[in-house]
Amino acid sequence: MTGVETLDAITGCQGLPRRRISRLRGRSGSGAFELGLALAAEVSRSAPVVIVDFTLDLDMGIIDAYGGDLDNCWVVRPRHQEEGWAAARALARAGIALCLMVAEDWPRLTPAAAPAALLTALTEGDCAALLLGGRLLPAALSERVCLELECWRLDWALAHGDVCGLRLTAQVTRSHLGAPGASCRLQLNFPRAYQLRVGLEGMGEIIEDEELLQAAAGSGR
Amino acid sequence: MSSPTRLACLTFPHLSLVLIGRAHPELREEPVLVGGEGPGGRRLVVAASPAAWNRGVRPGQDWRRAVVLCPLAAQLDVDLAAVAELRRQARLALTGCSPLVEWGDDASAYVDLRGSDPLRAEEGSRAVQCGRALQEALGVTPSVGVGPSRFSAWAAAQLAAPGRVRSVPVGKAVEFLANWPVTALPIPPEIAERLRQFGLRTCGDCAAITLVDLQRQFGPEGILLHRLCRGQDSAGIDPWREPPPCGVRRVLAGGVEDSESLRFGAAELARGLAQELVQQGRAAGRIRLVLLGEDGLPALAERQVWWGEVAPPAPMATAEELLGPLLSLFGRARPSAPVTVVELAAFDLVAAPVRELGLWQGLAADREMVQRAVDRLHDRFGRGLVWQVEVRPGHRGDVPEERLVWSSR
Repeated sequence: MTGVETLDAITGCQGLPRRRISRLRGRSGSGAFELGLALAAEVSRSAPVVIVDFTLDLDMGIIDAYGGDLDNCWVVRPRHQEEGWAAARALARAGIALCLMVAEDWPRLTPAAAPAALLTALTEGDCAALLLGGRLLPAALSERVCLELECWRLDWALAHGDVCGLRLTAQVTRSHLGAPGASCRLQLNFPRAYQLRVGLEGMGEIIEDEELLQAAAGSGR
Repeated sequence: MSSPTRLACLTFPHLSLVLIGRAHPELREEPVLVGGEGPGGRRLVVAASPAAWNRGVRPGQDWRRAVVLCPLAAQLDVDLAAVAELRRQARLALTGCSPLVEWGDDASAYVDLRGSDPLRAEEGSRAVQCGRALQEALGVTPSVGVGPSRFSAWAAAQLAAPGRVRSVPVGKAVEFLANWPVTALPIPPEIAERLRQFGLRTCGDCAAITLVDLQRQFGPEGILLHRLCRGQDSAGIDPWREPPPCGVRRVLAGGVEDSESLRFGAAELARGLAQELVQQGRAAGRIRLVLLGEDGLPALAERQVWWGEVAPPAPMATAEELLGPLLSLFGRARPSAPVTVVELAAFDLVAAPVRELGLWQGLAADREMVQRAVDRLHDRFGRGLVWQVEVRPGHRGDVPEERLVWSSR
């Protein structure tokens, strides 16, 4: 389970699927990236997480800020694409709970055989993988994505005139577990000194919206 | 409710005979007397098999008289606990067909077939559904009668063969009951005797007499007699209600007439039912929405204002899956009175598919295993590939380089 009830409810398996590759995507500023990191922070509180950072500039402090346990996080900063995929496979086999892979240029960073090998490692280690970042996936990777969630930013959450979070919609755009189309609305509270609830603690809120509910109902689910 | 009363009566062997049939198949065609303790410690007949019935034995009879009437019958005691359990199963099976079920004397049951949901199956199909549900629960085939009143439905059930439905057409109850003997009517024996003395032997004879004349002759019983013979004896049934195996109930603050306002609470209802389903690890093959009206009315059947069901192609387990069908139910709802209680129940429960509860629990890998994997990666690719991060104690500022300590262990 992701720790966010509403998000669990739309994925079709009460969370991210184990032994499968999932993907969070969205345009810049959509909240997809933040959501992925917040999920990793949530998981790290109870289970080991590996973050394969192909971008090499991920601020790991965000995991700490979202209440994650850095002791349970291993960060892979590969100098070469093969290193990143090999590390992901090795740590997945070791039994980590979540393998978060972050990249901008997936086609360049994905060797043809790597996705299939990763899937095998995930199966052996009973691990879930989550892809973050980038717009296009190479075919070898895209066809192995079991669950794809697309995010849109709805608006910013303001407090005291300051941006304290964002409201976003997450929709299942591809699923091998059930019919796609389900969506939910989430509020992601940024870490702030005055913020009582941060990250996933505040994400369980559903912003009631009759239109959206009807749209979800009409989407054939 | 504006729709005319339509009741289904299901008749079947007494539950104690059903249990005996299961335990002693060799007694199925034999005369069997089932006895139990009656008022004052007297032993009475609880049930009699058809063979014993043909020899004059009736439920409620004194045991010694029954033995005299049928001396060769097998004599058994009623197992009250087993009967109660079987009764519960049968009730639940019927409740799966309609929320309005009245349990009779362990040998009959009544189901209210009314409903204002335009998408519900027609009356005959619902009666067949009730019969099948009961057959699955009991293992015996009931006879089903459908009529505008309790008595006409019961009379139709008496004429129906096991596994068949006999229906009294709307507006034809008087003709249907015309040839029924008045001794079959649920009236006091002295009234039946007086009718016999008057030469009134059939329901048709009584129906030909005006209400005023019957009331003058028999008092209040005359009104009952008039209604019984015309198929107008009951406006409904007194249903047995038990919380469904999986369901949620919400009491609204004041009566709500606006269907849009009701739809507003659909998401909360769906979430509540989804939580129940998650706790049970089940998925619902069918959901039922019941909208109840104001309190204070004597029978729930009259309090009920609307109910409807929907059975999507695939079982539903999450709130989002439940929401669409639930909204469609709310869209069909046309309550005839302000709604004060909303009930949502799940039926045809199956194991929830592809459910991964507690994804992160119990999976925490041994840190040593992870560390060994990290060591192997370091051996292969050199240090600097896998890092762990710590927050620097007493750090100042938000610059990551100052705030975090990276270590490649």
